[in-house]
Amino acid sequence: MEQPGYRTGEPWYKRFLKSEALTGYFLISPAVFLMLVLLAYPFVLAVYISMTDRVLGEPGSFIWFGNFLKLLQDSLFRQTVLNSFIYTVATLSLKLFFGVILALLLNQEMPARNLIRGALLLPWVVPTSLSVLTWLWMFDSLFSVVNYILLGLGLIQKKIPWLGDPFWAMVSVVIVNTWRGLPFFAVSFLAGLMTIPKELYEAAETDGAKQFRQFWHITLPLLQPVIAVVVLFTTIWTFADFQIVYILTHGGPINATQIFATMAYDVALVAGRIGEGSAISLFLFPALLIVIIFMLKFLRRE
Amino acid sequence: MRHAKTVTAPQGGERAISRRRFIGVTAGATAALSFGTFIRSGLGAAKVNVLTWSNTLPAMDDVLREQAKQYTKEKGVEVSFEFINQTDLPTKTAAAVESGAGPDIITLWSDGPHLHAKALIDVDDVTGPLGKELKGWTNIAKDIAIVGKNWKSVPWGIIPICMNYRTDWCKEVGYTKFPDTYDEMLVMCKKLKEKGHPSGFALGRAIGDGNQSHYPILWAFGGAEVKKDGKTVDINSPGTAKAVDYLRQLFKDAQTDDVLSWDDSSNNRAFLAEQVAVTANAASIYWAEKKNAPQLRDVTDHALFPKGPAGRFGYSTAISLGVFKFSKSQKESKAFIKWMLEPKQYSAWMGIGEGMMAGLLNFYEDDPVWKKDPKLEVVRQIPKYVRMPGYPAPPSRPAAEAMVKFVIVNMFARAAKGMSTAETIKIAEAELKEIYGKA
Repeated sequence: MEQPGYRTGEPWYKRFLKSEALTGYFLISPAVFLMLVLLAYPFVLAVYISMTDRVLGEPGSFIWFGNFLKLLQDSLFRQTVLNSFIYTVATLSLKLFFGVILALLLNQEMPARNLIRGALLLPWVVPTSLSVLTWLWMFDSLFSVVNYILLGLGLIQKKIPWLGDPFWAMVSVVIVNTWRGLPFFAVSFLAGLMTIPKELYEAAETDGAKQFRQFWHITLPLLQPVIAVVVLFTTIWTFADFQIVYILTHGGPINATQIFATMAYDVALVAGRIGEGSAISLFLFPALLIVIIFMLKFLRRE
Repeated sequence: MRHAKTVTAPQGGERAISRRRFIGVTAGATAALSFGTFIRSGLGAAKVNVLTWSNTLPAMDDVLREQAKQYTKEKGVEVSFEFINQTDLPTKTAAAVESGAGPDIITLWSDGPHLHAKALIDVDDVTGPLGKELKGWTNIAKDIAIVGKNWKSVPWGIIPICMNYRTDWCKEVGYTKFPDTYDEMLVMCKKLKEKGHPSGFALGRAIGDGNQSHYPILWAFGGAEVKKDGKTVDINSPGTAKAVDYLRQLFKDAQTDDVLSWDDSSNNRAFLAEQVAVTANAASIYWAEKKNAPQLRDVTDHALFPKGPAGRFGYSTAISLGVFKFSKSQKESKAFIKWMLEPKQYSAWMGIGEGMMAGLLNFYEDDPVWKKDPKLEVVRQIPKYVRMPGYPAPPSRPAAEAMVKFVIVNMFARAAKGMSTAETIKIAEAELKEIYGKA
């Protein structure tokens, strides 16, 4: 059988050009190029910058892990780390809890199910900055509609200083983050739920398992891979979150909601210390990398 | 199939074009066209691009647009303004400095000339003649724009921050004039709050209003974040303690609790909603009243920041115009800046602003705009009292960092929330030492 690319008598370069391996490399080269230029290069550059004492417009010198060590001494940074963890853990748990409930509800038969499923995605679809601006107005110190309603219903006696008090400010950003991320959780879990074969539930019912036991022994284990992926991504996104906090509180009051991205922005772009700013944004990278490796291993085993 | 496909014209007979050839020709043509554009933009007439903020008062930007057109017509140099949100300026400036590409003229915020000195050309040949022609520069102009020995930018003006207050309510508690000292102000504001009219000075993350309200209090009571050398942190002083004690009292007796969550627009809204009697702001409230609450315009007035034991101070945002080293039209850029600051153009711009901006050349203290409205008369004096964060040292990177990290504002905010004076100063001192220690 004659192979088109290996015909004898053709010059070597023609054969080379026609080889399938080369075509393969050629076809993936745009993707590789994009990855290198848009992902790898900025990342490596950021790692490099984080190890320099570079300030805007000046080259700076290489100082190894100097920035990271200095950050550990920085009280504001330590608070930022704590805030970021509170923010991530709180939003993640809320979204997980309500996401599963919402998905279970949406998986029921009901009228206009598709419409409701579609509408649910709205918070996820609207540009974050726009929806957060609306929240900013709802939490406004003077004209908060949330306070207005709560006061009207008699649930509170005094206005809640949503963005003015360190505790309430954290509550506010957590609420908004949860509101915005919940649809993603619910829809992902819903997709997972729909792949679970009905027969399993029928069998469980025959064996006399009640609803909660069905959920615990069938739904949850089979949903686990989806949950793992969603949690993994959301952890990374939340640690890198910027818009919600920047628009709502800008990290305040008294740094109560300062998180990695907002602090990095202030330090690197406003104060011009880009070396230190990069170090702030990369600080959690090693920890996240371990989480990622662990999660991916877990997923592969599944 | 490994043959090159041929695309044949529907009615046979005409010459078929192979796809490969088609792609080749198209790519070639595109390249030629874009190269042509490239050549034209590089070699054509000089063009000056100005990156600036969109003014709170759009009418002032319209004046600039008109002037750019006029300049192009008269001098044959194309000038274009790009207006962006004030908060995006640092990011855009950083990007231009880092990449070595961007606008020719950049609008620098307060300490900007010090932060970006290495990326800017000297503009002494603009500031020199302007100073000579127009009665010299104010001290604050020199503070912000001279780095080392040279002028790194041309001071464009300040957004004067003053006390905005309700004359009718002040009259109710017995004041026909705004108090001249902080102690008297506390007494008046306390009486106002008892009548249901609290005052408000932003203690939240209001990068403008928060800092502009509280640095002057620190200075007026004799406090300072750093010594004159710009290196030795000096916040832990009796002066600072007095300022902190004062603010705690002012918060408790005279302010609305909301100030802890205020951002830069909150006080404007609160004043327009008749929720506060006194706040620190630019003339933008007065301006907004013209459109949104004309009934308030008659009972709104402006005053200088009060005096403290150490004197009278203010901190207003100053803006200046710098020319990037990478600019290909440095000469044209400098010529345009000089033209902009000459009385004919500058008065037209400042005049439309009616108190939104004040010039930093002494000549403009007597500009006709200040006679237009007696309520804006005090505004012209403001440049005299303005200092920058880091005072008494010149503006610097650490001072800028302390400001964006709200070290001073947060020191006051913690006191307002009940922390002891010694403790909150200690925290601020530690933060400042970290920041200044890096320099």
